[in-house]
Amino acid sequence: MTLQQEIQKVKKQYPETRSAILPALRLAQERYGWLSREALEEVGAALDLTPAYCMSVASFYDMFHLEPVGRHLVEVCTNISCALVGAQQTLEAFERELGVHPGETTADGEVTLRTIECAGGCGWGPVVAVDHRYREPVRPDGVAAIVEELRRAD
Amino acid sequence: MPIDEQIVLAGADEHDLTKLAGYREAGGYAQLEKARAMEPQQVIQELLDSNLRGRGGAFFAAGRKASFIPREPARPVYLTVNADESEPGTFKDREIMLRVPHRLIEGCLVVAHAISSKHVFIYIRGEYLTEFEILREALQEARRADLLGGVTIVLHRGAGAYICGEETGLLESLEGKRGQPRSKPPFPAISGLYASPTLINNVETIATVPKVLEIGAAEYAKIGPPDSTGTRVFSLSGNVVRGGNYELENGTTLRELIYDVGGGIPDGRELKAIIPGGSSTPVLTAADVDTPLDYDALAKAGTMFGSGAIIAIDDRCCMVQLGLRVAQFYMHESCGKCTPCRVGTRWMVQILHKIEDGSAAQADLGLLLDVCDRILGKCLCPLGDAAAMPVASYVNKFRDEFRAHIEHGGCPFGGESSLDHVFAPVDQHALTPVPQEVPA
Amino acid sequence: MSAGETVRVTIDDTDVHVRKGTGLVETALAAGIEIPVFCYEPRLGAPIGACRMCLVEIEGMPKLQAGCTLTAQDGMVVRTARTSAKAAEGQDATLEFILVNHPLDCPVCDKGGECPLQDLTFRYGPGNTRMSFEKLTLEKPIPISPTISLDRERCILCYRCTRFSETVSEDGQLVARNRGAMSVITTFEDEPYRGAFTGNVTELCPVGALLPTQYRFQARPWEIVNTPTVCGMCPVGCNVHATVREGRVKRILSRNHPEVDEGWLCDKGRFAFTHLRAADRIVDPIKRVRRRGFEPVGWDEALDEAERLLRAAHGRVVVALSGSETVEQAYALAKLLRRGLGSHQAMLPEEVTDALDAYRLPLSAIGDAQVVVVLGDVPVHERAPVVDLWIRAARRKGAKVLSRLDRKAVREAERVVLIWSGPGGRGGASVAELAEQLGLAGKAGCGAFHLPATPNGRGISDAWAAASDEEEAEAGSIGLLLVSGDEAAENPDVRALAERAESVVVVSMFHGLAAGWANLVLPGTSYLERDGTYVNLEGRLQRLRRAATPPAPEELEWLSRLAARFGVEVAPYASAVFEEVSARCYGGLTFGEVGERAPLRGYPAAPEQVERAPVPEPAEATTGEGLRLVAYKPLFSGPAVERVPELQFQRPQRELELAPADAKGLGIRNGDAVVAAAAQNGTSVRLRARLSNDVRPGVARVAEEHAAGLRGRVIVTPATPAEATAQ
Repeated sequence: MTLQQEIQKVKKQYPETRSAILPALRLAQERYGWLSREALEEVGAALDLTPAYCMSVASFYDMFHLEPVGRHLVEVCTNISCALVGAQQTLEAFERELGVHPGETTADGEVTLRTIECAGGCGWGPVVAVDHRYREPVRPDGVAAIVEELRRAD
Repeated sequence: MPIDEQIVLAGADEHDLTKLAGYREAGGYAQLEKARAMEPQQVIQELLDSNLRGRGGAFFAAGRKASFIPREPARPVYLTVNADESEPGTFKDREIMLRVPHRLIEGCLVVAHAISSKHVFIYIRGEYLTEFEILREALQEARRADLLGGVTIVLHRGAGAYICGEETGLLESLEGKRGQPRSKPPFPAISGLYASPTLINNVETIATVPKVLEIGAAEYAKIGPPDSTGTRVFSLSGNVVRGGNYELENGTTLRELIYDVGGGIPDGRELKAIIPGGSSTPVLTAADVDTPLDYDALAKAGTMFGSGAIIAIDDRCCMVQLGLRVAQFYMHESCGKCTPCRVGTRWMVQILHKIEDGSAAQADLGLLLDVCDRILGKCLCPLGDAAAMPVASYVNKFRDEFRAHIEHGGCPFGGESSLDHVFAPVDQHALTPVPQEVPA
Repeated sequence: MSAGETVRVTIDDTDVHVRKGTGLVETALAAGIEIPVFCYEPRLGAPIGACRMCLVEIEGMPKLQAGCTLTAQDGMVVRTARTSAKAAEGQDATLEFILVNHPLDCPVCDKGGECPLQDLTFRYGPGNTRMSFEKLTLEKPIPISPTISLDRERCILCYRCTRFSETVSEDGQLVARNRGAMSVITTFEDEPYRGAFTGNVTELCPVGALLPTQYRFQARPWEIVNTPTVCGMCPVGCNVHATVREGRVKRILSRNHPEVDEGWLCDKGRFAFTHLRAADRIVDPIKRVRRRGFEPVGWDEALDEAERLLRAAHGRVVVALSGSETVEQAYALAKLLRRGLGSHQAMLPEEVTDALDAYRLPLSAIGDAQVVVVLGDVPVHERAPVVDLWIRAARRKGAKVLSRLDRKAVREAERVVLIWSGPGGRGGASVAELAEQLGLAGKAGCGAFHLPATPNGRGISDAWAAASDEEEAEAGSIGLLLVSGDEAAENPDVRALAERAESVVVVSMFHGLAAGWANLVLPGTSYLERDGTYVNLEGRLQRLRRAATPPAPEELEWLSRLAARFGVEVAPYASAVFEEVSARCYGGLTFGEVGERAPLRGYPAAPEQVERAPVPEPAEATTGEGLRLVAYKPLFSGPAVERVPELQFQRPQRELELAPADAKGLGIRNGDAVVAAAAQNGTSVRLRARLSNDVRPGVARVAEEHAAGLRGRVIVTPATPAEATAQ
């Protein structure tokens, strides 16, 4: 199925076309890795919205990437519950293992590291979402294995 | 005291309730049948009699809210379930979706019947991927088993924005816009989704409804204190031995939850502070540990029931850093629509940074409180208040600690605080290309 | 409770009676009390309550309320900052927050002195700042288009501009990016903000964030004069203020006429004024001198030459009018030619009919219609831009906007408006006939509009008729062709006529149009340099006021002198000339009575319109091979636009618009390179295809300047790879 076809399908769930923009942006991002100019234009065309509108909506939501990101995404929650139980130490372990700071992507374009706000795993922190799947908890000593796993996955 | 029987999570320890068969075995979907045999108004009456109050945070009576929906509307009526759980410390709705998805679906169908709606949207936060998959699976099963009865239920995934948990922000987002809250009135019951009458309820509220019908409103109302009937799935986190979700009767004390259920404070540390209802609620001190978890008691203690998320904080935590981290969160999540919240949260972060790094003057403390006060009650939606209230409470209850930062020119914890130098998502702002913050 | 019910509201202890549902800001105003606002702007749709400047205390409500979002209810008790300490504190807080990141660079800000933020800070704000941190610093100014610059540091995020883009012009190009404190206003990637109405955001902006680049560092408010006049760029006749500093027009602002423009302007009307200072502006008469070619001459010599040429024509004078002359200029010219020379031959700019007079409505009635039928193939915004905004407003309010007549829909509706948007239409006769057939005559809220091609076609026709009752007699030969104005000078048909004329006199503003083909060139003036009147497409007579002094005498001045040489008395003043025309056409209305916001009047005493042979409908075959080509004159074209560098980006792309169904049948996708070839002779042009829902099936539409002279029916095919790359 082309992206256009996928979007047309998801559109049917809603009484008004515009409601399909979040799923449509997600489909585009899943396909291209991030929301490039072309991806936004494609979504806009499928929903009869301007690319500017699509960009505006996408930029409101943390899960959409308007810049290229790595093939894998490591997101460390540093909100209070996780921070109280050592999220910063877990984050620093990822920084050491990956050699990047939060907000950056490894030189080989494989992994983007970033911090996120409360992921809703507070009772089992620190929470780390690896490619959107939660690992609860991740302590500094568990970081190397995760990074190794990501490197092996390719 | 913890009650013997659970309501929302009932049976989930014994059975696999994620599957239709298991849920049916535990008596699932019987209440739907019962409800459909009732007049819609009767179902609402049950909710009114049960005094079930909204579990999202505002604690508004669920029956009253449903009764605001016009009975003979000119446009279709929508039921929207708020599964955009994002209040820091809160992870109960996630547990409900993971473990009793069918109870949520049954609740949706019962409430849809009560307000004569044929269209249900469940707005689930985008990060909850596994939860979405489980709910989708359950929905498939329900659909195949012909339980929907002409009602469509659409699972709509968010994409990472706390503000979409605010009901009108959620509606905007569901309409395909930036999730910026709307000015009220008009209220959603009159003009909500697609300008149609819309009821918005939290996951836990909806998932409670089948049990209310099962045991009857009168019985339900006997659980817990009169103004906070029933149970809540409390999310316990922070410095406790056993964090997690615990469904307990309302009125359970913080001590019972933190010590008896949660196993107390680990590593031999002392309890210092308690956030009782998610990060937006004013803080309590260790001295308040016998406060019951009910609406009135918490209000009397100067705080709020909120989302039922209890964060225990031990004596390693610097309260200035806590304030900073909380303010950073709200700054990050401010939608940018109204002035006080958009500007005020950032200003709070700047002042807190200054206090934290020891370069502030005493006047800055007054300024911080004044900025909080100038946000309070002046914003378009509750987010501004949610930032101002807790931070002001940290200053008021731990003023000596704030003063110490100023007097000693730095953090008295000397880098040993549990929240020392935590990297917040707003710190990534400088790394995003638009807008370019020009280096000084 | 009826909708029209009056309610009592108490504001700051003053009782005021208003209609239930009136906005609180307006209710307070009725009591003479200001509720200050930034984001509130009723023309942008429902209030959003974003800026929090309008916080007021309402009895019975614990928290301060955004006054702009509330409406008057009976018994409501309101306290503004004047009587409520809480409200005053709230407004003070809002302003303190707004100013936290505002650069306070008022001394170098073009908005300074006419800035709502300055004014409201002065009245309600804190006297000092407690913000001791580095302000949010952002790259600036950003040209969001060649005509508009954006200063993001000054922006207070009131969302007026983005709401305009989303809900008024509906172009969806100007948007907010990011969230919270990092929110910024932007366009998509590096695309300029393009469209017919973008400039309105510079007037909506309550601070100095969105400013017209043309006005950057051009004037301070105390040095300027705003002259109320009317735009002369299209037949709508939007009411404008021309901002003038030291005799030069510096910018054009809207001057809200609620029935005509609602305070919106198109970018041509707003930004094209710099053509007044075009490099090739003619300031002196130019005379053809044998052997020496062309040379500038003095006015006495020019008028001698004009007299000589007119006399030599022996009554065989043909005048070609532009449609941009004032009623008074046209009358003066007509009086000279018709009474002084007995020459009655005019090439009027366009066909005009009085058949539409029975269906007159203010343009605002379009916004209230239930059914709007738009006929004709030219996009409305290319011909009469603001009409397009009225149609959009109607659609947003639930009106059906139809591109073909649906008799059932018309029958079922109470308020129906027909709009003919060229080409053809016989000056409105076609749409008037349709209105008659549909029984719209005399029905409240029903009416019909014809969108003419020129700003004052109707007025010129009136003036020509008023000057003489003589019939036009076709002369065999043309002694003198008098070309009045730039549009006539540009017209290929006029140029063709010039070939047959013994001599040619051209009145024009620009060398580029006048050079080379005239025996005598007289400098023309612009609508911004004239006093007089125009009649717009509604039939509304409106006043032009001279904003800038022209570099040469205005037409009336030299026409008066020239007429005197033929024994014809023409006053050199518009007021006197108008009264002569008015006696015959406008019921004796005096110049002073025309009014600054002119009403739509009927003129029962108007004489018969000048009889013109009806122009036949374009004789293009409606059936046959290929698609019917519509080559339209774009909004952003013409002598003025061509002379404004910053408007060039707005000129139409090399695109051929196709109906999606036709494109599908031809195997053409949006953006594909295509070849359009004339069915008759095979001449062709390469263009890019754009699929457009507002193109009728069977039609291919292209801007005239990209049509390469193609007419009639065209065969459209996808370009071969070689053809595509050759582009």
